[in-house]
Amino acid sequence: MNRLIRCAVAVLAICLTFGGVAQAETIRLGAILPLTGPGALIGTQQMRGIQFAIDQVNAKGGVNGNKIEVLFEDNQAKPDQSILSFNKLVDLQKVPMIFSAYSGPTLAMAPLATRKKVLLINAGAQADKLATASPYLINTLPTIGDEVSVISKYVVGEGKKRAAILFENDAAGIAGRDDYLKAFPAAGGTILAQEPTQFGQTDFRPALLKLADSKPDVMLVSITAGLQQMAQQYKQLGLKFMVAGTTFFQDPSVVADPAAQGFVHTQVRIDAPPALAAAFKQKYGVDMEFFVRQYYNATEIVVAVLDKLTAEKKPITGESMRDTLLAIRKFNGLIPLEFKSNTATVKLDINVMKDGKDVTIKQLSNE
Amino acid sequence: MLAVQLLVNGFVTGCALGVVAISFSLIYATTKIFHVAHAGIYTLAGYLAWTFVSHGVPDIAALLLAIALGALGGAAIQQFLYAPLERRKATHLVVLIASLGLLAVMQNIIAAVYSANILQFPVPWGSRMVAAGSIRLTWTQLLTAVLSLAAYAGTMWFAHRTILGKRIRAVASNPFLAEITRLQPQAVYIYVLAIASAIVCLPGVLVPLDLGLQPYGGITPLLTATIAMIAGGVGSISGAFALSVLIAELQNLSLLVIPGEWSIGITFFIFVIFMLFRPTGLFTKAR
Repeated sequence: MNRLIRCAVAVLAICLTFGGVAQAETIRLGAILPLTGPGALIGTQQMRGIQFAIDQVNAKGGVNGNKIEVLFEDNQAKPDQSILSFNKLVDLQKVPMIFSAYSGPTLAMAPLATRKKVLLINAGAQADKLATASPYLINTLPTIGDEVSVISKYVVGEGKKRAAILFENDAAGIAGRDDYLKAFPAAGGTILAQEPTQFGQTDFRPALLKLADSKPDVMLVSITAGLQQMAQQYKQLGLKFMVAGTTFFQDPSVVADPAAQGFVHTQVRIDAPPALAAAFKQKYGVDMEFFVRQYYNATEIVVAVLDKLTAEKKPITGESMRDTLLAIRKFNGLIPLEFKSNTATVKLDINVMKDGKDVTIKQLSNE
Repeated sequence: MLAVQLLVNGFVTGCALGVVAISFSLIYATTKIFHVAHAGIYTLAGYLAWTFVSHGVPDIAALLLAIALGALGGAAIQQFLYAPLERRKATHLVVLIASLGLLAVMQNIIAAVYSANILQFPVPWGSRMVAAGSIRLTWTQLLTAVLSLAAYAGTMWFAHRTILGKRIRAVASNPFLAEITRLQPQAVYIYVLAIASAIVCLPGVLVPLDLGLQPYGGITPLLTATIAMIAGGVGSISGAFALSVLIAELQNLSLLVIPGEWSIGITFFIFVIFMLFRPTGLFTKAR
């Protein structure tokens, strides 16, 4: 009898042990971001956005009792390094989903994501090709083409029909320039001139002077670095035409600079609740910047998907995560958005920089 | 209006570039070291001045402190890197690689300490305008042109009118003869690195004062200055300075006739053709 009881206790203990493991299973996800090199500043913001959201979920007990762990890989914003990191995370760590950033690395990983059925979530890159790169690539930001279309219509609607383009001579800048070349005439405007600058270059005077010589009503901008210097030199040269751009303009140092007074741009609407922003600042000692919020929002979406899958006791794979995400469709997290395709439809504001603040003057969407 | 403003902007840029070129020329002509880490000193000077200004040090004092520390840095590089390598009979290639390595270390440390963001000097007067007719310049641009011309004149005077300047030219002309006539080339090399580093700190502070600071911002000016030095004639201070101004003017004025993306390529293509016909440079050695 004693032997029977001992056996029963042992079986019960084994069941409890295995049951416990099953309940407390850690869900491993991946993130391939530029944590060193020139993109490290943005990559670190993205990493913090993900980790901050994950820490909050885990502190509340995880998703249906399952803790989440994100394995971060550094790709230095390089496509080749991204491929190595992707294979490592998928083949060795068996992650079903990976956060990515930057257009080049994300486009490089997209075919692999399709082949291996791994969900890629991009919350930072905006190249137009990302919209169709893979059925397993979900973009939580609109593409640059969507934003350019919105700002072009607004600018032409304001009567500024003669435009000059200032663009960065790299993949992102050229993509933006090409979008302006299509969208601005389509909105009823005319492109008079275009001038490139090099990435990281801060002497914009020659290009600004040449563009000013074409006497435009508006300068359409597609640069990602040196915006503050561009604004200051625009002011120093006494130029008067309107300056318009996209979400890239949302740089606190640019907004605060009096030289940028009157600059207009599209802006993905992000309202970080004060308590959340304060909690982030307390943890990291810095403000909850744009990319922190973007990746926090993307992580919230992933958590919602995992919550549904674990509640329904479905397997967590890239395919099931993608299908569930598209089935949920509407997310009301930090950035309310809807997935009518694999690129989110989001609220887009038209903002103008005024007295050191970014003031919303019109609310639209990229639909 | 456009052409004149481009001409003036090109002159300001060329003057700053000219100071980088004469300081690099001073080092290369004397030590025969392709001192790539000079770009690191150029960058470091800006960050040091920014740190001093941010901590309330008066602007002029911050510039002078950055120049003094830059000079010390240059002397230290010669004393603790190049001199030991020379004692071990390192080839020019090894010295170049060591210099490149040092530049990478300096840039990475600067990026780690100050971040890779573009930093602005908290100096409001720097962006105030001076207008003469249709020409508009900032005070920083004006100061850059004036002080660069002064640095050029000062370097010419130093090289031709002072005992140390003549000693440096003697060592540059014939290091072996300088050794046996007790001109102590090794000591001269330390002076040269210190003086050239001090000189390069001037544009190292003034250019970022106008355009912002970046950890990797020293490479392009150094590359252009090197080309100006070679095209001007190695060892010719005037040649290096004049060619720097010419290159900057060509880059600016070429915008009048060609799109900006071709500006750098066409400018340097002209120099490649030029070097084919005059490989010793425009100004022959004028030591």
